Amino acid sequence: MRGADYVIKRLGFAVVTVFVAISLNFALFRLAPGSAVSNLARVPHATPELHQALKREFGLDKSKGAQYVIYLKQLVRGNLGVSFENQQPVSHNLWVALKNTLPMVLLGTLFSIVLGTLTGVVAAWRRGTAVEGATVTTALGFYSMPTHWLGLMLVILFSGVLPTGGMTNDFLINPSFWTHLKDLAAHIALPSLTLGLVLYGEYTLIVRSAMLETLGEDYILTARAKGLRPWAILRRHALRNAMLPIATLVALSLGYIVAGAILVETVFSWPGIGRAVYEAVLQRDYPMLQGGFLLLTISVVFFNLVADLLYFKLDPRITQ
Amino acid sequence: MRRAALVLLVLALAAAGCGGKSSKSGSAGGTFRIGSSSGIDSLNPYVAFNQDAYSTFQYVYPILVQYDATNKHFAPFFARSWKTSDAGKTWTFHTVPNAKWSDGKPLTAADAAWTINTDVKYASGGAANEAGLVAHITRADAPNPTTLVVHYKQAPGNVLGQFQQFFILPKHVWSKHIGHKGADLKTFPNNPPVVGSGPFTLVKYQKNEIALFKRNGSYWGTKPKIDAFGLRMFSNDDAMISALKAHEIDAVEAVPATGIKTLKGAGFAVSDVPGLDQTDFIINSNPRKLHHRELLNLKVKEAFAHAVDRQQIISVVFLGTAKPAYSIVPPSTGAWSNPNLKPETFDVALANKILDGLGYKRGSDGIRVADGHKMSYDVITPTSVSSANRTFQILQPDFRKIGVQLKQKALDATAAFAEMSAPNNKYLNYDLALWDWTSLIDPDFMLSVVTCAQYGGWSDSGYCDKHYDAMYSQQQLTPNQDARRALVWKMQKYLYDHRPYIWLANDDSVAAVSPKWDGFVNTPQGPFNELSIRSLTTLHKK
Repeated sequence: MRGADYVIKRLGFAVVTVFVAISLNFALFRLAPGSAVSNLARVPHATPELHQALKREFGLDKSKGAQYVIYLKQLVRGNLGVSFENQQPVSHNLWVALKNTLPMVLLGTLFSIVLGTLTGVVAAWRRGTAVEGATVTTALGFYSMPTHWLGLMLVILFSGVLPTGGMTNDFLINPSFWTHLKDLAAHIALPSLTLGLVLYGEYTLIVRSAMLETLGEDYILTARAKGLRPWAILRRHALRNAMLPIATLVALSLGYIVAGAILVETVFSWPGIGRAVYEAVLQRDYPMLQGGFLLLTISVVFFNLVADLLYFKLDPRITQ
Repeated sequence: MRRAALVLLVLALAAAGCGGKSSKSGSAGGTFRIGSSSGIDSLNPYVAFNQDAYSTFQYVYPILVQYDATNKHFAPFFARSWKTSDAGKTWTFHTVPNAKWSDGKPLTAADAAWTINTDVKYASGGAANEAGLVAHITRADAPNPTTLVVHYKQAPGNVLGQFQQFFILPKHVWSKHIGHKGADLKTFPNNPPVVGSGPFTLVKYQKNEIALFKRNGSYWGTKPKIDAFGLRMFSNDDAMISALKAHEIDAVEAVPATGIKTLKGAGFAVSDVPGLDQTDFIINSNPRKLHHRELLNLKVKEAFAHAVDRQQIISVVFLGTAKPAYSIVPPSTGAWSNPNLKPETFDVALANKILDGLGYKRGSDGIRVADGHKMSYDVITPTSVSSANRTFQILQPDFRKIGVQLKQKALDATAAFAEMSAPNNKYLNYDLALWDWTSLIDPDFMLSVVTCAQYGGWSDSGYCDKHYDAMYSQQQLTPNQDARRALVWKMQKYLYDHRPYIWLANDDSVAAVSPKWDGFVNTPQGPFNELSIRSLTTLHKK
C-alpha cells in the first residue's frame, strides 16, 4: 500500500509539473523581444498587407489570454499547432527532427555511460595510483572541452576519412542494405563520438565517487576477508550498491535525449531537433517552441519518474 | 519511410539513366552536388523565405523572363516576346507553344493568367507573399494558349523586373488549394515530386539535409546536360569545405573568405565576382527620434562617414573579397548604380574638423559633448551577421579618435529589429546599428526600404522623407527605362547626402567547383540563383 501511495504521488507530481511547464512555455517565448511576423514579412516583394495577413493567420492579433485558451484547447485535442515558418503541423516537424536526432544522441549517450562507468570503476579501484590520475585527468579534460571546439577538431582530424556532415550520403545510387548501413555508421561516428567524449567525464566522476564510498564500507572489507575474488567484490557488492546516483544520472541523460545536441548538430550539419528548436527560437516560431519544449518536459518528467520508480526497486529504504 | 523515399529516388534516377555511372560521351550526364549553407525553408512559394527556396523555384517553375548572360538585361524565357500598349498599361506576352508540365498536362498562358489573378484576388490573404509582384495589376487574360495579356491600373516602371521573380504555377494542381478565402494556398506543402515545368524537377527534399533535382524530360527549352543536381545543406562552413576537399560534394555556392586559399591550393576552381550583398552602418534617421538628435545632423553623419576605414574592414573582415561600398544600389546591378558616387575618404582629421566646427568639444575623458550629453552610442549588431563583430572592432577605435564612444549591443536578429523599431514600429529610441542588405538587380526593392511606408516592414533606419517618397513613387510609374534610371541615380545621390546608411563593404560572390566540371557560372547572386537558369543548364563534365 505504501508503494502504491508512492507511485500515485509521483505520478500526480509529474502531471502537475507538465501542466506548469506548458503554461510557462507559453508565456516565456512571448516575453522574448520581436515576433515571427517581423521576420516572415521580410521577403523582397512584401507589402504592408503581408504583415497584417501573417498576424491574422498566426492568431497574434488576438489577446494573449485568448491565444493561451486556444493553445490549451488544441493541446487537449492532441494538436500541437502549425509551424509559423513552414506552415506544416508541429508534430510532423518535431517527428522528422526527432527521428534524426535519437540514433545519434542515443549512441553518444550510451557510449558515454559505458566508457564513463568503466573509467569510473577503474579510477576508484586503482585509487591513489597513476592509473587513477590518468583516468580522471583525461575524463576531466574532455569534460571541460567546448563541444563545438572538439567537434571541429574531429572534423579537421578525420576530414577525408569519415564524412564530416549530414546523416547519409544522399547521392548514393542504388545502395544495398549493407552499403546504406555502412554509410549511416560512417556519418554517425563523429557526432556520436563528440557527444560521447564530452559527456563521459561526468559519469567517470560520479561513478568513481560512488564507488569510493561503497568500497570503504564494512561489507566490502568482510567480502575481502572472506577471500572473494576482486572482480566478484567489485561487481556484486561495490558496483551494485553504487548504482543509485548512477541510475539518477542515466535517467536525467536519457530525459534530455529529445532535446538533441544543438552544438553537435550544428558542427556536423545533423538535421536534428536541437537545430530545429534553435531555428524556432531565432524565428520566434511559438508553436514549434511550445511543441519542442512540451516534448522535452514530458521526456524529462517521464525519465525522472522512471528513476523514482527505480529507486523504489533499488532502495527498499524509500518505502520504509 | 526514409528508406522508402530513398528507394523511390533511386528508381527515379535509374529511370533517368543517370545511375551515377560515367557517361559515354565524357561530357554529358552525371549528378552535380552543391554544398549550401543557406537551405530551403519551404517548397511553397506562398510561404518560402530563404534565397535557396527562390532559386529552387527558378529551376522548377516557368517564369516569363530571366536575366541574360550579363545579368543586367532581360531575356526571353517562357515568354518568347512581349509588347506594351495603352501607354504602358497593357502588356502582352507570347509564350512557348506546346509546353507541358512535368506530369504531362499542357502548360499554357492560361496557367500564367490564373496565377496572376489568384495572387491579385488573395493579395491581402494567402497570396500576400507575392502581392508586391502583382501591384497595380487589375487582371490577366489568356485569349489563346500562347498569349497572356496583363492589364494595369497605371503604367508601371518595372514590369519585367517583377515578372522575372514571378513563378507560374500549374492551375490544375494549385486551384484545389484556394479554400478558406485563399488561406489554403499557404498550407499546401507542395511535396516532391513537385509538378513544375522548368529544366529540372524536384524529386526529393528533406529540410536541412538535401534537395535533389532530376532533369525534366518534358522541359520545353534547351535541355540541361547533367542528369540531376543536388543541394546538400551544411550548418558549418568548415565541414562544408572539408566535404568539398574530400569530394563528397562538387561545389560550394558561397565560399567563406577563410576557405578560399585552402580550396585554391587543393586545385578547385574558385570564382570571385562582384556581389549584391553590402554591409552597412545604420544611423537612425527618424526625424522624430527622441534622444541623441545630433545624429540627425547631416554634418555629424558626414564626419562619421570619414571615420570609417573601409579598406581595413575589407582586408580584415573579408580578407580582400569585397569592394568599398557607397550607394544603396551596388555596382553589380549595372546601369542602375549611380557611377558618379564615390566612397568617402577615411580621414580622421577631417572628421574631427567637422565635429569641432559644430562646437562639440571633448570632455576630460576625450568623448565629445553634443547638446549637453556625451557622444556615446550603443551600436546594435545582429548575431546572424557574421561580419558585424569584427567590423565593430575596427570602427570602435577609429570613432574614439574623433571623440565618439561606440558600445556594442549584440542581439539575435529578431530582437535587434524589435529594439530598432521600438516602440510599436516608430523607431524612436535606437541610435546606431550594423547590418547588411542583399540587393536585387532591379533597384526598386532597395529603394523601397527607406520609404515611410516600410515602417515596421523593411525599414531599419527609420528614414522617412516625403520628397524621397515622391521620387520613389515616380520611378515606380516611369515606363521609360532611361528616364527611370536618371531618377534612380538622383535618388541614390539624395540618400548619399542624407546618409541613413554609411555603406561599408560590397562582398564578392565567391563559389568553388571541382576541376572535374566545366560550365558552372557564378553570378552576383552566386551560382544557384534566382536570376536565370544558366549556371546549371550549361554545366557539364570535363
